[in-house]
Amino acid sequence: MMILEHEAKALLRTVGVAVPDGTLIKPGLRAPKVREYPVAVKAQVRSGGRGKQGGVIRANNARELHAAAKKLFATEFNGEKPTVLLADPWLAIERELYLSVTVDSAAGGYVVLYAPRGGVNIEDGPPPVRYAIGPAWKFRAHELRAHLEPVETDYRIRERVISLAQRLVETAAARDCHTIEINPLAKLADADNPELLALDGKVVYDEWAHYRNADIEAQRQGELKRAHKLLRASMEMGHMYVKLDGDIGLISGGAGMTMGAMDMIHGYGGKPGCFLDVSPGPASPRGYKPAFALLDGDPDVKVILVSVFGGGTQMNRVARALKETMATRKSKKPVVFRLDGTYVAEVPAIFETFGAHNHATLETAAREAVKLAKRTK
Amino acid sequence: MSILLDQSNRVLVMGATGNYGKFFMKDAGSYGTTIVAGVSPGRGGTDVDGVPVFESAKAAVVATRADTAMVFVPPVLVRAAAIEAIEAGCKLAVITADEMPVRDMIEIRAAALANGARTTGPNSPGLISPGKAKMGFMPSFCFMRGPMGVISRSGSLSYEGCKRLTVAGIGQTTVVGIGGDPVKGMTAGEALALFHDDPETKAVLYLGEIGGVEEIAVAEYARSQGAKPVAALIVGKTAPPGKKMGHAAALVGSKADGHAAKTKMLRTSGVYVSNGLPDLVKQVQVALAAADRT
Repeated sequence: MMILEHEAKALLRTVGVAVPDGTLIKPGLRAPKVREYPVAVKAQVRSGGRGKQGGVIRANNARELHAAAKKLFATEFNGEKPTVLLADPWLAIERELYLSVTVDSAAGGYVVLYAPRGGVNIEDGPPPVRYAIGPAWKFRAHELRAHLEPVETDYRIRERVISLAQRLVETAAARDCHTIEINPLAKLADADNPELLALDGKVVYDEWAHYRNADIEAQRQGELKRAHKLLRASMEMGHMYVKLDGDIGLISGGAGMTMGAMDMIHGYGGKPGCFLDVSPGPASPRGYKPAFALLDGDPDVKVILVSVFGGGTQMNRVARALKETMATRKSKKPVVFRLDGTYVAEVPAIFETFGAHNHATLETAAREAVKLAKRTK
Repeated sequence: MSILLDQSNRVLVMGATGNYGKFFMKDAGSYGTTIVAGVSPGRGGTDVDGVPVFESAKAAVVATRADTAMVFVPPVLVRAAAIEAIEAGCKLAVITADEMPVRDMIEIRAAALANGARTTGPNSPGLISPGKAKMGFMPSFCFMRGPMGVISRSGSLSYEGCKRLTVAGIGQTTVVGIGGDPVKGMTAGEALALFHDDPETKAVLYLGEIGGVEEIAVAEYARSQGAKPVAALIVGKTAPPGKKMGHAAALVGSKADGHAAKTKMLRTSGVYVSNGLPDLVKQVQVALAAADRT
């Protein structure tokens, strides 16, 4: 789970990474106390690419700051409106660098990524240097140095980067972060100041470490609190939901099969309306009722496709849960079913008792859902 | 042959007296898996359906010559249980748990490497060598014995994919669930190396997703000299960027790990990439036909 820039910078500050002395701006505040102008007013949202979407505005005085704040609070960035802004001093920069620590499968653990030219166009440049570490205790300064030497010729910057990278790796492990990214990490134009400053910060927490990290638990609670009522009820069952822009609501089991079904709907000319993986939740009415309530309450969803292929999840239980859920459901949106997996042989008999049909293949079910969605337009 | 698992593996179950452990011992035992011991601290000296339960993995290994561990403890305890089994001498530890912190898996992987052991998962269905043995909850009827090695990042997709193969009369040597997490006990590249050395495996099916770096190793293998034919399906064509699609690793963070870039990289490396699930069996047939020509 990604946290906000100002939260990420607070974390970086606690481990000795220099960050600008910024000011938080909340809505409704007419005259925020900014120490010095100009400032960069930055929308605090949990998605990337903010800079390219106009989420950072320069303000030279209090009047401009007020106008920038008004504009940013009214703008959606990837569907998210900022609830807080960060005003950082506008600094003269000599060079923007890129430094991040993340986890990856090929490394069997942590990797350090570094590019001597960072900033918003990092993806357009050559790929960053990649130092694969494995577990955090395998970090070696001399190994990273050997990786950096070909791309970073300024040894003073190189040595500072090595020292920062080690701290980030240790922090990622100790604080359960999937990613800590500093882009840009800035060498200021001020020649007397050799320090590297984290002008931006992105931290992605490992949500499953919530039981041993109070900050992560607080983020999880915040996520639940921000969710609207119907979504919250589904999330409380452990369901994983991503809203998409189509009209076929998908209730599915397993991340891979959910995406497989989304792709198939698309292949038949339909548009998936969501990714909703209910497999981490209970295979009972307690689990299925909030999933249906969420999609029934979404005016964009015209048809619901239930597609579950279960191993540990037993299909006779799912079929009975669906029967009970459908019995109390008020919405008239059509539902298409496709269950397969453990004990699927018992499904048709259960479905017959409430007049439902279980499609034998995902193909026929997806086609039916696409057809029904077109009819309800 | 098969890889990693057959009837000769002597399996101990970490967390034998829980619901999952009990169900697994009954289900996998009847499938053919040789289950010799359970481990549940505080319950040593008891038994589950006649299988003896021990206080520690070490005690179980000494008494029963167990060499393979099935880890069925809650996510909070997986690191402790898996490392205990590995350090007690198990050469393979299969982890199915989801909701596990990635740092814990990093430590388990390091422990396995240090002890010359292997591990698979987490966030996976486990593994099955059809007709021989299974380590996990996969629905057995989806699988049959045959020439395809299968590697999957997703449990449900491996059931769906293998059922399609089985219905088409194409069996599998072993199906390895490498799981949906960003750090894996066994990577796709490592599983491919094992399938490469298995004489019974004629070709490999790789079931992948958007996000992560796994597919790079698949492409590298397919390009290598003497590689067995590889078919693949990558799901998530319709997934929006920047959103986690259930699995922690299934997130398009940059163009390189999106669907288009991955399928293109695999295709140019000679992988038979399926155009969605309906096309899967055909691509596997093409891969098998290519294997017959060599």
